[in-house]
Amino acid sequence: MKRNIRISVAATILLLGAGCSDSKQYETAMCALVDVSGTYAQEKPNVVRAIKAGLLPELEPGDSLFLITIDSNSYNEEDLRAKLTLDYIPSKANEQTLAFAKTLDAFAKNDMHSSHTDISGAMMLCSDYLKNTGSGNRAIITFSDMREELQSGLKREFRPTEFEGTDIAALNVIKLNKDTMDPEIYRQRMADWEKRVMAAGAKSWTVILDATKIPEYMERLK
Amino acid sequence: MEALNFWQNMSPLAITGVVIGSMLFLFLARTPIHKAFESLSEGTGGGFRRIGDWAKKLAEKMRERDRKVLLESGIAAAENKLREEFLRVEASYSKHLADFPGLQRKLDDNISKIEGDYRECGQATPEAPGWNDAVASIAKIKGSSGDRIIEKMLGEIHKSAIEGEKRALSELRTTTAKRHKILSSMAPMWKGISKTLKEVGEQVSAVLETTRRIDKYMTQFEKVRKGDEDSIDMLASRANKLFIFSLIMISIAAAGVFVNFNIIALPVSELVPGDTRILGLPVSKFSAMVIICLEVMCGIFLTEALGMTNIIPHIGMMTRGKRRMILFASLIFLFLLACVEASLGVLREALAEGDALQKQALAGVAATGLSSSTSKFTVVGQAGLGFILPWILSMVAIPLEMLIETSQHVFYKFLILLVNLFGYLCNAIGYLIEYAIKILIHLYDAYIIVPSQIGNAVGGGKSKARMT
Repeated sequence: MKRNIRISVAATILLLGAGCSDSKQYETAMCALVDVSGTYAQEKPNVVRAIKAGLLPELEPGDSLFLITIDSNSYNEEDLRAKLTLDYIPSKANEQTLAFAKTLDAFAKNDMHSSHTDISGAMMLCSDYLKNTGSGNRAIITFSDMREELQSGLKREFRPTEFEGTDIAALNVIKLNKDTMDPEIYRQRMADWEKRVMAAGAKSWTVILDATKIPEYMERLK
Repeated sequence: MEALNFWQNMSPLAITGVVIGSMLFLFLARTPIHKAFESLSEGTGGGFRRIGDWAKKLAEKMRERDRKVLLESGIAAAENKLREEFLRVEASYSKHLADFPGLQRKLDDNISKIEGDYRECGQATPEAPGWNDAVASIAKIKGSSGDRIIEKMLGEIHKSAIEGEKRALSELRTTTAKRHKILSSMAPMWKGISKTLKEVGEQVSAVLETTRRIDKYMTQFEKVRKGDEDSIDMLASRANKLFIFSLIMISIAAAGVFVNFNIIALPVSELVPGDTRILGLPVSKFSAMVIICLEVMCGIFLTEALGMTNIIPHIGMMTRGKRRMILFASLIFLFLLACVEASLGVLREALAEGDALQKQALAGVAATGLSSSTSKFTVVGQAGLGFILPWILSMVAIPLEMLIETSQHVFYKFLILLVNLFGYLCNAIGYLIEYAIKILIHLYDAYIIVPSQIGNAVGGGKSKARMT
């Protein structure tokens, strides 16, 4: 009888211990990569609107969001424009969200422009930050035309585990003139990206054409 | 497959040789091969049938056990009912018998007062018999004698007779009035006696009603104690009915818990941040669940203290004073929890409103908000629901007890069904195997029919020769 009680107590403690182990694994950390190069720089207000209306309301207490710009050399701390980790108290989380929305508005008004497009560098920087959060769900959402133009001297090679456990999505991908002339160019570009990120250990690759589908995508992530 | 088709390359003569050789071999090895088949049949088919028989016996044992459990619970329920009735009788008797001396004294007082009044009514001053009649007769002869002195005397007598009559009449009236007064003062006493007797009658009829109930329960108790099939069927049917009913009640209560949880989960996260998790749940949600569980627990203690349930026998065995203490404590805790929930309901509405405004701001829509009257209604609704739900959930103890009591029988019934099914399946497989082996034996005999017949003929000739 005593043995049974001891086993039950040990099992309960183990169960509770397992339950209490790490709450981080239930949280989501995500990066919004915003392209500020070339013609895509004009899309900033639309991108900010999509983040405010689609991403921010879906964040839950404990979730994190990083805003990183894609410019000529994106693997740079200066490209981390804003970061947000929501408090566990809902009212405080609401205040933080509203403050972050104001930062986004200021970012939309900021006139920044770059000549080259270093998407890979932004992704790598983002991956570093996401891993650092220790969150269970990690996602990278890129707002870009997905056409990379690296300046000379930059080396961007993904490690096989670069995006391990990370979902990657491309949103608001604007079609370039060449793409409209031959859709195959656009499709091939997307296929190349999928191949590249999946080879680097990404959990999934999604192209979201409609910004209203963001909540659906977020739901799937969690 | 190619190995099996080896005979295609063989000559007909070789095939015939193989067939005849195998026939001869199988004929000679008939007895050991038959025994091998029988052993196989016994080992497999017989094994399955034995498992089937074991399952059948197990089901029977379980049925017997279920029967015993049903009987025990039936006896316990009947005993409980009887105990409750006796307790009621005891309470009623101790209360009413305590009142009885007072009642009797009241009756005695009233009766002695009535007796006194009656005696007083009977006291009247007696008059001299015939005196008035004599004076009246003398008065009538006035003026008949012609003598003035006599006439004057008779006149005086007449006058005094009339005065006496008047006085007597007045005295009679006074006495009658006095008697009426006494009699009218007796009316409330009669009414009092009648009321007292009515009370006694009511109490006696209540006692008689209780006695009839006790008789009914005693009959049921005797029936259950006998443990005949009818009473078992009755108990089983009652258990099934109660199980279904309690299951419905518990499902409704679970829906109530869900609603309650959704009301308090968000505001609780404002008080208890959900940065740590227990069993995968944020602490805030876990705390909300704990609050609901505490309400149910308080409800269990409340119904236990009221004697409505008997989940915790220790409470049932406590003295009335201790039970009353538990009753008040659980009532106070339940009230406090209901107040907490009501305030959480108000907080929830404030948070939901803030959330809606935030979403509007993020979407770039001008904040409209709810009209103040709608918001007030919602707040009152949420607070009211938050206050009422704990009281409703506290009543879950009654169906919970019913479910615990009846689930054992239902579980046994389900288990018996499964064991029986398993047994039937094993028996069927056993029969199939036995018949398949029998068919194989017949096919075997059919294959060696030629050598068997020859053997029989030779054996028969030999036996005939021996006989001659």
